[in-house]
This record gives sequence, C-alpha cells and structure tokens, in this order.
Amino acid sequence: MLFSSITFLYWFLPLVVALYFIIPRPRGSLLWRNLLLFVASIVFYAWGEPLYVLVMIAQSLVGWASGLLIDRYRGKPVVRAILVISLVIELSSLLFFKYTDFFINNLNTLFHSQLGLLALALPLGISFYTFQILSYTIDLYRGKVSVQKNPLVFATYVTLFAQLIAGPIVRYSMVEEQLTSRTHSLAGFVKGVRRFALGLGKKVLLANTFGQLVVLTQAELHGGGEQSVLFALLFLVGFSLQIYFDFSGYSDMAIGLGHMFGFTFPENFNYPYISRSLTEFWRRWHMTMSFWFRDYVYISLGGNRVGKFRHLLNILIVWMVTGFWHGAGWNFILWGLYMAIFLILEKYFLQRLLEKIPRFFSHIYLVIFIMLSWILFESSSLAQAQELFLTLFGFGSSGLAGIASLYYLKSYIVLIVVAVIGCTPLPARAIGWFRDKTGLLGKRTLTILEPLFIAAILLVVTSFLVDGSFNPFIYFRF
Amino acid sequence: MDDINDQPKPEKQPLQAWLTFAVFILIIGGFFLVNLVAPKPEILISERRLPAKLPSFDADSVLSTEFMEGFEDYAADNFIFREALRTLRAITVFNVFQMGDKDGLYQGAVGAGKIEPIKTESVLAWAAKMERLQADLASQHDGLKFFYAVIPDKSLYDARSLPGYDPVVLASLLEGRLKAYTSIDLTGALQASDFYRTDLHWDQALLGQRSGDVLDVLARALGCQSRLTYDFVVRDAGEFTGVFPGQLALPMAPDQLRYLTNPVLDKVVVSYLDPRTGEFVKGPVYDLEAADGRDRYDLFLRGPQPVVVIENPSATTDRELYIFRDSFTSSLAPLLASGYARVTLIDLRYIDYRILPQYVDFAPNSDILLLYGSQILNNPTILLIQ
Repeated sequence: MLFSSITFLYWFLPLVVALYFIIPRPRGSLLWRNLLLFVASIVFYAWGEPLYVLVMIAQSLVGWASGLLIDRYRGKPVVRAILVISLVIELSSLLFFKYTDFFINNLNTLFHSQLGLLALALPLGISFYTFQILSYTIDLYRGKVSVQKNPLVFATYVTLFAQLIAGPIVRYSMVEEQLTSRTHSLAGFVKGVRRFALGLGKKVLLANTFGQLVVLTQAELHGGGEQSVLFALLFLVGFSLQIYFDFSGYSDMAIGLGHMFGFTFPENFNYPYISRSLTEFWRRWHMTMSFWFRDYVYISLGGNRVGKFRHLLNILIVWMVTGFWHGAGWNFILWGLYMAIFLILEKYFLQRLLEKIPRFFSHIYLVIFIMLSWILFESSSLAQAQELFLTLFGFGSSGLAGIASLYYLKSYIVLIVVAVIGCTPLPARAIGWFRDKTGLLGKRTLTILEPLFIAAILLVVTSFLVDGSFNPFIYFRF
Repeated sequence: MDDINDQPKPEKQPLQAWLTFAVFILIIGGFFLVNLVAPKPEILISERRLPAKLPSFDADSVLSTEFMEGFEDYAADNFIFREALRTLRAITVFNVFQMGDKDGLYQGAVGAGKIEPIKTESVLAWAAKMERLQADLASQHDGLKFFYAVIPDKSLYDARSLPGYDPVVLASLLEGRLKAYTSIDLTGALQASDFYRTDLHWDQALLGQRSGDVLDVLARALGCQSRLTYDFVVRDAGEFTGVFPGQLALPMAPDQLRYLTNPVLDKVVVSYLDPRTGEFVKGPVYDLEAADGRDRYDLFLRGPQPVVVIENPSATTDRELYIFRDSFTSSLAPLLASGYARVTLIDLRYIDYRILPQYVDFAPNSDILLLYGSQILNNPTILLIQ
C-alpha cells in the first residue's frame, strides 16, 4: 500500500489511528497497541504483496531466533557461527529475490548459455527490512543492544508499516526502548501530522508532477522524438527533483507517522542539494543507508585504519555494494563506482579546493556531478545512458532546443523554481524569521496559518489522488 | 488521545496544536465516515464513464492483488465531492503551478484540447494494418482506387506551438509506406476555428464553406468535386459541450451544435447496421433524438456505428465510396454523399474486418478512403484488423 493513496489516507490510516488510541493500556502495557500495529502492518504489506508477506515473516523469525541463540551462547565460539548463519540466511533471501536474474543474465552472456530467468517479482521493501534485521543481529552480537525475547515486539519492529517499505532504515538500537515504552502526546501527534502532511505534499504535488516530466522527456529522448540539449537538461532537472521529493517526502511521511504512534525515527535527509561536495552530499542524502554501510560494511572492512591501498579498496567495495543495493544492474554498479571515484578524488585532492573556492562554485560542482550521476542511476541500460550523455552535450539529433522542450520548460518553470527553493532551508528559515521577528502577532498568525496550510495540502493532495493516476514511487524497486 | 493525561505534568497545549489536530482528524476521519455512508454515483457524468465498482473479495482476487488494485480505483471513483476535487486539481495545475496542460489536456484562446505527440511504433503499426487491408481488398476486387488522409489534431493550430501532432514527423514516418494509396494532405485545409472549442471534433458547418477547406480538398483528390452540391443551409441543434470540459474538470462556455442540409441530403437514405440482429435499419442523417443523449455529437449519423450506408437517389454517377473511418467522418461523410451513388462508412473499432464481407459488398471501380484522426494512428490496436 502506498502512503500516497486514497486507500491508505482515507481507509487504512483513520481506522488504525482510531483503533490505536481507543485500545486501552492496562498498567501502561503496550502489548495490545503493538499487536494492532503488527496486524495493521501485515495488512499494509499484504495489500501489495499478499504472498511475500510470508517471506517477511520468515525473515523476521530467523532474525528473532538468531537473537535468542546469540544471547544464549554469548561468549562461546558457536555464537560466531550463529551470526554467520543468520546473515547468510537473511542475505540469501535478498540475493535470491533481487539478484538471481541479474546473475543468470550475466552467465548467459558470458558463456552463451540459455539458462531461464526466474522472473520473480521483488518483494516490496526487502532491501530495507533485511538491513533492519541485520542491524539487530550484528548489534546484538557486538553487545550494543539487548536481546528481544518477545517475538511480537520484534515482529512489530521489522514490519512496522510506517517505515517498512522504504525506510528510513531504523536500526533496532534506535527504537529498542520505544517498542516497549513510549509516550504519546498531542504535541507529538501534531508534530507527526505536520511532518506527514509536508511529506505527502512533497510526494504527490512535486515528485509525481516532476515524474510526469521525466516520463515524457524519456519518451521523447529515447523514442525517436526531440533529442535536444534542453530536453536532456529538463530530464536531468526533473529527475533530480523527482527523486529528492519522492524519497525525502516518503521519509517525512514515515517519520511523521512514527511521531503519531509515539516513535522517533532517525532523519534521512538534510537538504542534500545544498552540499558543496559529494562527500557532504552523502552525509545529507539517505543518511540512514549511508551510515548503515559505514557502520556495518566500511568499518567491518577496516575503514580508514588500514594502509592507503586497502583504504581505497574499502571505499570502492562499499560504494559498489551501495550501487548494487540500489538495483540489480550494471548501471547501478557503475553509479556506485562513479561515486567512489569522486569520493576518493575529493578525499585526496579536491576537498581542500572545494572548501577554499566561493560557495557558489562548489555548489555548482556538486549540482553538476550529482545530476550527471543520475543519468547512470535512471537509465535502463548503458546504451540509454550513453545516448542521454551525448544528447546533453549537443550530439543529439535536435540541436539545442525544439518545440517540445521549449513548451515543457515554460510549462514547468514555476514548479522548478518553487522546487529548487524547496530543496534549501530557505522556507524553514523564513517561517522561523517570521515567528521570531513578528512577536505575538506572528505567533497568532501562525496559529491560524499552520492548520490552514495543512488542510490545504491534504485537500489538494486528495484532489490529485482522486483525479490522477500517475503515482509511482522510485524507491519501491529497491 | 487518552495518553495525553498520562503525562506526569501535562503542559498546556497551544491552540495551534489543537487546531492542527482538529483539521487532520476532521479531514481524514470526516472523509472516511462520509465515504462510508454516502450514496455512490451511478455514472461519472462529466467524464462520460461508469465509476469503478467494488471488486469481488475472494481468495483469488486477493492473492492476485486484483481486489486491492480494484479497491483503489473504486475508492477514487466514488470519493465524495469527486467533481469539486477534480476542479481543485485543475485550478492548482493551471493557476498555481502555471502549467500549460493537465495530463496533456490544455485550454487556450481557441478552446481546449489534448497534446498527443505522434507515437512512432503506433503509427508504423497502423500503417502496416492499412497496407494489409489494401492488399486484401485489391486481391479480391477489381479497379479499386485507394486514398488516405489523416485528420490533424486541433493542437496543431494552437498559436502556442504545442508539442502535439506534427505533420512533418508523420510524413517522415509514413515515407515509403502506404505506397498503394494516394495521400491527401489536410494540414492546410483546417484552422483552429474549424474545431469545436470544447471538443476534439470539427464543426461540420465550417467544413464546406470555402475553397481549400476539408470538403474541397477531399473532393478534388477523390475526383468527385464536380458532382458535389454545395448549397448548404446551416441548421442549429442547440448547445453542445464536448469532452474536454469534463476531462479538464473546468467550466467552459458551450459550443453551438450546427448541421448542414441541402436538397440532396434531404433525400438520401441512410441504413445503419444493427450489430445485435445483423440487419440494416433505416434512419436519418441527423438524428436529433440521438443528440439528446450523453454525447450530442451523436447527432451526426448516430455516433458510434460499425457500418453505415448512405444511398443517394439523386446521384448522377454509379460510383461508390467506402470510408474506413472514425468519429470525424460522421459529420463529413454526408457532405460527400452528393458526389457518389452510395457512401459506405466502416468503423473497424466496432466491427471485425474478418466478418465485414457478411455486411459489405465492395463494388468494382470504387474509391476506398482511409480517413482517420491522428488519435487512431496513435492507438491502432483498437482497430479490429490483423
């Protein structure tokens, strides 16, 4: 089920919220509320994947049972074997569903064989919930978290619908206490509403609208239509904005829903496009994933406490795995490699320069190279990526611009300007400035404006969902 | 929110929090409750379609996710205040986002329309179908002359240079194809004002008014110009609101539905194939009863029909014309009737080409005309021909 759907907003959510707060808490126990969240999460997941819900439950059981065994045999040699077996089972599931056809395809190409593809649908969110289970198992092994003996509480953590499909990747350590003891308040609930509405608006009004631009520019660029520089640029701007508002909007909704039910999830985005280097970008973009790879892969490989060559190799490995995590295709591996190369260049050569030059130029550097990376990321094949690169640099068949690209530039220009401003902290700062500088009058104005703004977002979003059918979600496929 | 009072020292919640909470609950919970009890519409009038029904709930439909997908359509189609919400979206897109179109639908000084660029693969598939049709007919009937004309989409004539139908692109795609046909170019025969403001179709009253217009260009190419009678009288059938205001969800001033008659047209005999009985039934050229239905454009030859035959008792020739056509031809074909003894209209969207011989006998030495709007070229799969 998508957050940005009529089914979720006007059937699932009101029912779950109502039941959640109606359910009594005998002696402060969250048992019944956790049970409701678990059942609701199963329904939420099964709505899109009725069979694969069994895969998720099976992986949860493996994670929970491994935890019990690790705790029971702590200090004994067998515990390492338990950890390895658990990791192998969890990762095998991810590899099987996500990467089998990729490997078969490559084997067929390499050995001219005719192995049949499995053509399995990818279980929604498998990359996210697998990583969450792994974080629990590894952290438990490392002694950073306590064992969770209650299978319901553990299953609630893994399957919690608020962050199940597309993150943030919530580590067990982050919500360990909240699973059994969390507080609910009007302030917390409203904080969640505010964040959820903001994310919903970002997703439906901005990301989906830019998604339409991406689809039509792709159709023109790769379908024998106008292959102009302006169209390639529109595609890049459109996709850069779509993926940011799509994913950060979804994270906002997840964090907002968490607040409504008393959870505090980690932040996932921090205005990444205002970064001055790719190194900084990855500290601001999909932060829970970057930190996951840092803590569980990069540091496990030795991080930077090794020789120079090994350190470079570690960076390359981590980023190729990061790319591969995003999708089973060579374009994703190359995208990871692209990132690794730039991160290495920045670490050893560019970082000092980027810090010295005026901010404007380092921003331009970041925007250009992150946008170019999206070509690899979004292209369905390397040939398509090459075609787009050539068109962008003037080697397309339609020159600088044509009727279609000029029309769509004019059609989207207002939204592009609004969205670019929305990628920066300016709107938040403006509200803060207004609140601080206008005193009581400003506070009273905001008292009225905030609920009105949220009502407007909800109604306009509803109008888009009722009337439009274009509602993809990029990170679902990961 | 029972836990609010569980806090050890509950802080006084600001009014802003209470208002935001109330707004959220009112909208999410209110719509939930109203949608639960409100009666469901039988038809979505402005969109001219039936709303999605609640899908059946059983193991198969759940496991295949058919139920879930169907439920989202049901929930959206039956949402309370759907029309008002659709209008809200249109206002947001056009007035707030300042976009040129909503899902390809635009509105401008000369009316509303839809941007539909030529789809390469679709056009090639259409051309392949039409080549097979020509080969099949030519192999069975002697002396047939084949023509084709594509009716340009009205977006071509919008002053804003919309990225829709492009005759140059189409010509390049069809180059070297449809060689057995004589091509008729209608690009210069039309202008923006020839189309209804609220619909994609052309206004019949403007088709046969001037030299170089659609009727004139077609008649010259078909060689029947000298036989046509032009002394048309314009009659008014009242107001007409086409498909675009409903699709846009924005109010638009209606068009005027007009039709042309003359002494020849007054005498023609029109037969409609009834697909249920397989029999032809007689009817008028302009059906004022049909015009009172959901789509007033059905005034012209009763709208969607598999086969229509117009016989002209005043004909000075025994030549026949067969038009493979879409809805545009309903209003144009009567104007060509005076040039032929018989005009047969065949709409392959409603009759499979394989059973056509049961109902249509192609006379030798006849003219065969393909007359399709660009929308059909972009969606050739709806034509029932291999």
